[in-house]
Amino acid sequence: MRVLVIDPDSARAALVAEGLAGVDPLEVRHRPFYDEAEAAAFAPDVVVVATESPDRDTIDSLRDASLANPRPVVMFVDRSEPGLAEAAVRAGVAAYVVDGLAPGRVRGVLEVAMSRFQLMNQLRKDLDKAKADLASRKTIERAKALLMKERGLEEEDAYKLLRKLSMDTGRPLGAVAADLLAFAGVLKGDAS
Amino acid sequence: MTGLVKLGFMPLDDAAGLIAAKALGFFADEGLNVELSREASWATIRDKVAVGALDGAHMLAPMVLAQSLGIGSEATPMIAPLALATDGAAITLSTRLGLGAGPSAVGLAELVAQRREMESSPLTFSVVFPFSTHNYLLRLWMAQVGLDPDRDVRIVVAPPPRMAELLAGGVIEGFCVGEPWSAVAVDAGVGVVAARAAAIAPRAPDKVFATTRAWAGENPEVLQALLRALLRGLEWADAPENRKTLAALLAEPAHIGVPADLIAAGLRHVVFHRDSVARPEPAQAGWLIAQMQRWGQVPADADLAAALAVYAPEMHDRAAGLA
Repeated sequence: MRVLVIDPDSARAALVAEGLAGVDPLEVRHRPFYDEAEAAAFAPDVVVVATESPDRDTIDSLRDASLANPRPVVMFVDRSEPGLAEAAVRAGVAAYVVDGLAPGRVRGVLEVAMSRFQLMNQLRKDLDKAKADLASRKTIERAKALLMKERGLEEEDAYKLLRKLSMDTGRPLGAVAADLLAFAGVLKGDAS
Repeated sequence: MTGLVKLGFMPLDDAAGLIAAKALGFFADEGLNVELSREASWATIRDKVAVGALDGAHMLAPMVLAQSLGIGSEATPMIAPLALATDGAAITLSTRLGLGAGPSAVGLAELVAQRREMESSPLTFSVVFPFSTHNYLLRLWMAQVGLDPDRDVRIVVAPPPRMAELLAGGVIEGFCVGEPWSAVAVDAGVGVVAARAAAIAPRAPDKVFATTRAWAGENPEVLQALLRALLRGLEWADAPENRKTLAALLAEPAHIGVPADLIAAGLRHVVFHRDSVARPEPAQAGWLIAQMQRWGQVPADADLAAALAVYAPEMHDRAAGLA
């Protein structure tokens, strides 16, 4: 069975391909976009496509057999597995199959692709959060330094003051620190 | 405020109704909390609406009918209570074809005949989706000069933002797509507009706002509020004095991400609100079904009454204060 993975996110495509390598006799290729000539040469039995790929409509339209498209595809929806298609859409992945493949084998491919998509999306989310946390920590440090300089506070007291502001207003420490810096900027005439 | 309402759109000038309603606060005025999400393909919009990952969307009218009939996807009963735009599509041909500044269908037919004699490969044209007004306009335009779109040329599907690049690369020789993508190809010097939608089938149904019938049934008041806000968005977008602001709004990277002057050039052709074009007329659904039948997209046993019932003018009328 040959599987073609189309995903503009190359890192995620590689992760999916790597996951699929563990499934029974399988040849996997991944590409950032769909190329008709290349696909015709590879003749995939299954095309796994990221729903954020603009090429999805092209693949979705290969339903009719023609000279240029001798192996029509259908979107894979496994009725024996309720909710699978919905979960796939929510995970951001769709699978198209050449008619006649055993649904069990395709389901295996789709499930691996879905879990890898979810994994990658979670990793990306964690990374974004880590970046935001780091930025927020830097903001807090700067706000602390400002309080120490302007109010002549010790570091610990400056932090306590920020924390009190945060608790009084019910807003995150990073947001309070950012406000403080912005107001300080306005008072100094940085922004008007 | 209601709960979060998620609406999808494709990067096209005719998504203006949704984008304007959001940016100008028309949704908020109705107490709606709307999140817009730009999607990369029509198939993804269709599937996300079907599973409820989107509550409603800017959709191709014939795609919505096909979805209700279960053609090309699992059957999901749909409702189209509002038409979002018309006349925005154009047929653009590659400058490489050498058909001059104002290429005609007759000129194309002559070229196709010449190429057949020379046993050259058929010319390739691109549309945005099999179930799209663009596909039918292109086929009508060809058929009126005796070309058979299934035999004399190849018609493939490609994403709108990639049309100009495919034309430049010689992968396709022409396309039919909504603005601003013809304006982009013309500006890049790779394409020339051969025919506007208004010259082929004026006021042909094109994009609609659609939801599943189930969602519409569960959220009748939210839907009415959405329709009122969208009608305001369409009216605002249609007003000549707002077009410049609209072009700048659509040009933003989160919306279409194409320079405002190109957006403005395409917008000149799009009709959003005047002459009651926002009312989803059942006769238009009938016209679309006839096109789908003509090109062999509808099986003989399809439930056409169910497809006609997708168009819901009564919901539009209520929102517009006409009923």
